[in-house]
Amino acid sequence: MLFFSFFKTLVDHEITVELKNEVCIRGTLKSVDQYLNIKLDNAEATDELRWPHLCSTRDMFIRGSVVRYVHLPSSAVDTALLEDATRREAEAAKGKAK
Amino acid sequence: MSFFGFDTNLPRDKGHSTNAPGFGHHDAFAGLGGGVDGDAIDFEETYDGLGEQLDETNDAFNDDTFGGPTSQQGVGKDFDFAGETSKIAGTIHEEQMLFQARQPPSQQKPSIPYASKPARTGYESYNNPEYIPQLEARADIWGLKPKQSTAAAKQSEIEPEPLLQSHQLTGVPARKMMSLDEVEAMMRGQSFQDAPVPMMSQAPPQSYGQQPAPFPHQMPHGQPPYPGMPGQFAPHILQRPQQPHPQQGPPRQQQIHAELPAQPIHPQQPQQSQQPQHPAMLQRQRQQQPPVSQPQSQSQRQTPQPAPHQRPPSQPRQILQNPNRLSGHGQPMMQQAHPGPRGSFPGHSRGPSFPGMVITHPEQLMALSKEEREAYLEEDAKRAKRNHKIFELSKDNGLMTPQDKNFITRIQLQQLMSATGNLDEKSPEAQIAEDFYYQVFSSIRGAPRQNPHQPANQFAQTYLFQTNSRFGARRQGRGGDNHMQRMEQQVQRAVEAAKAKPKGKQLVIEGSLGKISFSNSKTPRPLLNLKRPETGDKLKQNKSLVADRKDTLRNIEAVYMTLMHLEDHDRTRPPAIADGSPPEAIQAHMEWRTKTEDLHKKLWQDIKIMEPINPQSTTPHPFISILSFAKGKKAIQRIFSHIDEQERITVVTMIVVHLDQLSVVAHAVTSQDEPLSLTIREEVELFLATVIPPLFAHISESPLNIIIGLLGLVLDRTNMHIVARTKVGMSLLTILISRAELLKQSPPKLDPSDWEHWTELYNRLFDVVEPVLPVIFPGNVNDTDDMYVWQFLASMGVGASPEQQQRLVLGVKDRVMETVTVSKALPAEMAGARLANVNLFMRAIGLDVELLG
Repeated sequence: MLFFSFFKTLVDHEITVELKNEVCIRGTLKSVDQYLNIKLDNAEATDELRWPHLCSTRDMFIRGSVVRYVHLPSSAVDTALLEDATRREAEAAKGKAK
Repeated sequence: MSFFGFDTNLPRDKGHSTNAPGFGHHDAFAGLGGGVDGDAIDFEETYDGLGEQLDETNDAFNDDTFGGPTSQQGVGKDFDFAGETSKIAGTIHEEQMLFQARQPPSQQKPSIPYASKPARTGYESYNNPEYIPQLEARADIWGLKPKQSTAAAKQSEIEPEPLLQSHQLTGVPARKMMSLDEVEAMMRGQSFQDAPVPMMSQAPPQSYGQQPAPFPHQMPHGQPPYPGMPGQFAPHILQRPQQPHPQQGPPRQQQIHAELPAQPIHPQQPQQSQQPQHPAMLQRQRQQQPPVSQPQSQSQRQTPQPAPHQRPPSQPRQILQNPNRLSGHGQPMMQQAHPGPRGSFPGHSRGPSFPGMVITHPEQLMALSKEEREAYLEEDAKRAKRNHKIFELSKDNGLMTPQDKNFITRIQLQQLMSATGNLDEKSPEAQIAEDFYYQVFSSIRGAPRQNPHQPANQFAQTYLFQTNSRFGARRQGRGGDNHMQRMEQQVQRAVEAAKAKPKGKQLVIEGSLGKISFSNSKTPRPLLNLKRPETGDKLKQNKSLVADRKDTLRNIEAVYMTLMHLEDHDRTRPPAIADGSPPEAIQAHMEWRTKTEDLHKKLWQDIKIMEPINPQSTTPHPFISILSFAKGKKAIQRIFSHIDEQERITVVTMIVVHLDQLSVVAHAVTSQDEPLSLTIREEVELFLATVIPPLFAHISESPLNIIIGLLGLVLDRTNMHIVARTKVGMSLLTILISRAELLKQSPPKLDPSDWEHWTELYNRLFDVVEPVLPVIFPGNVNDTDDMYVWQFLASMGVGASPEQQQRLVLGVKDRVMETVTVSKALPAEMAGARLANVNLFMRAIGLDVELLG
């Protein structure tokens, strides 16, 4: 849930999603769900010459399993908080494993 | 007229195209109408043109279905294509249904001819799409012309001639090729011609209002373009279900008999003729009906009235329940299924109807070849079967109210929640653990969400947001949406229920080797399920360095966990107790305090600050090790907010004592030759940003004796040459000295012995620092990051004696001169900044860079 929780805070921020098929899409994150499926608005391929078929698509829904990387705006990330959140997640996972 | 009296007109000349759906060259009425040819021609003018409207493109299967010319030549069973085809008639039929369903516009076609044939009496009203047929007037027909229709019906069975004549009277050309559709349409036309006036006059105007719903549907569906469609046949098809037919494929005569009673008996005894055939349905309806004095008008209303009552609500549901089949025609068929059992006369419940239908039908059937009949009857039976089925399904329509459905929806939602929810994770604390980042981030960044530091129930409310983000965004602005509130409460209750009912996340089937793990929306199934080795890291003990590092990291994590527990615990702080508080509140408060104490103690242990100091040890003190990691540095500030004054002094002392062992000091000694590495510089900056501020805050409130103690420790226990050449060390010294200077200048005069002690320490410090003065500056003169040095020099200069000031100036004279020279070559802004730094020191000793210029 950490990533879900994290990505929820990035809603309405511009992110770049790198897919496993090398396609790179930049857009405004509209929503994300538990499977980290991503909905983008104002989406555009970062290299429109390479993926011209994406030119006409402005709204995208990206299945979470095809995402390789998400480039984040660093200003929108609270690293200290993220560290704590990670600790909590780890602790919770440890608690469950026992 | 030919010589022999044969009709020489070709079929195509008789107004009905041979291409039209129907029976090709075989005209069922041709032989019958031979003698009255002239009359038939007159009918052309009044012919309603139904034949022309039929969809010409839809007759591909006509010959197959109805036999067509081929099968009528009596060739024998070898060529019984129709018989073969009839076996798949149902499929063809369904295909047609589908085809029609996909072409909604075609359904509108039939209504046009009504409007376009003004000559046709009784149909004028159909120009108005809002027009409602005189359903009730139908009974008047029976009442007004009972003898005629009865006679016609009876005669038609015996001899066809009178029937034909009645047709001619009403204006249908007898010798045309006629499809069943046409015949029926003709009958309908006849019926309306018969009784237009009584209809208009007798039908009470207010009763029209009751029938708007059914009619618009019937108009289009009543006449599908293809003759095989159930629309036209619906009346007698629909009679079937309620008739006690044990076998579905009855002989022809039997079927005719079954259908016949509906009509002819009616005029004499309307009530009795209806009731025996469908007692159950009628009883139901009759309860709803007001008693009517006239038996005839009662019989009029009996059938049409329930239709508006029942149909409107049931139609959409029917569609919902049978979305796949009969998507387009499910609706009309369902409609027909209702009136069918209810009213034995098809015409009644269907508005403009087919009084001659039952009479004509046997004629029509007889006109067909045997194969055709079989095919038709088989198809007919199938339709009846299906209609019966639909009726069976639809009779419960409308049982559930919208409220019921809402209720079911909530139950389903509840199940969904309990399925997706994890066990015992629904408490607010668990909630925050689960969605910590988002919750806290939102509260920090001011997202329009409740912040997590509010009472517990608000956590539960935010729960809805997780399952439905649409609500989340609008939660706070949401008005009193009662339904949504109830949903929300329901979800909360569901959450409670889910908590009470633990569910396993894995299922191990006995005897199987694997586990089945359930996934849900909150915990997608993990792809890897690794077992941690229990004794994994015990083997690495010999690698002391790695172990140290690991231990330190583990210590830091322990500190953080304790910190978070403390912070979580702080949030659950019970309301402050007063004298009048109830004992439970006091009890809760006491428990909370005890817990806080425990956590506090644990934190104190976790930071390892009380570990004995071993000067001989090669490894640094555990607390100092913690400070060598970035996250350890970051923890200090949070630790400070949870420990008391005494403990803070301890921490400060600890840091000061080990000042030269701190990684940010030991590895960060500046030299003019090689600048510090980037990592070290970042570490130093981090230390200055995270550790120094709480230290500074603490020191700047400390009394002189603490300052004296700290400075004494620095001088005694640390290597001042290292400390003084680092940014961190120098900053700390600056803090100490400047605090002492402030205390010296502030009004409350302190113990002179303390001052003596301080002056002694200061002198020692001065003596130690003086040799390194030339090298305390980082890098060369072009390095701009030297402000902290000037600050240190300034604070030293303030407290220095004149003689010491002179020595200070001598020590840093070169740097001062260089800086002034360099700054002349710099842009005004940078030069100003650098000179201002130098001036910090110069002013402290009563000088100014201006004097040097």
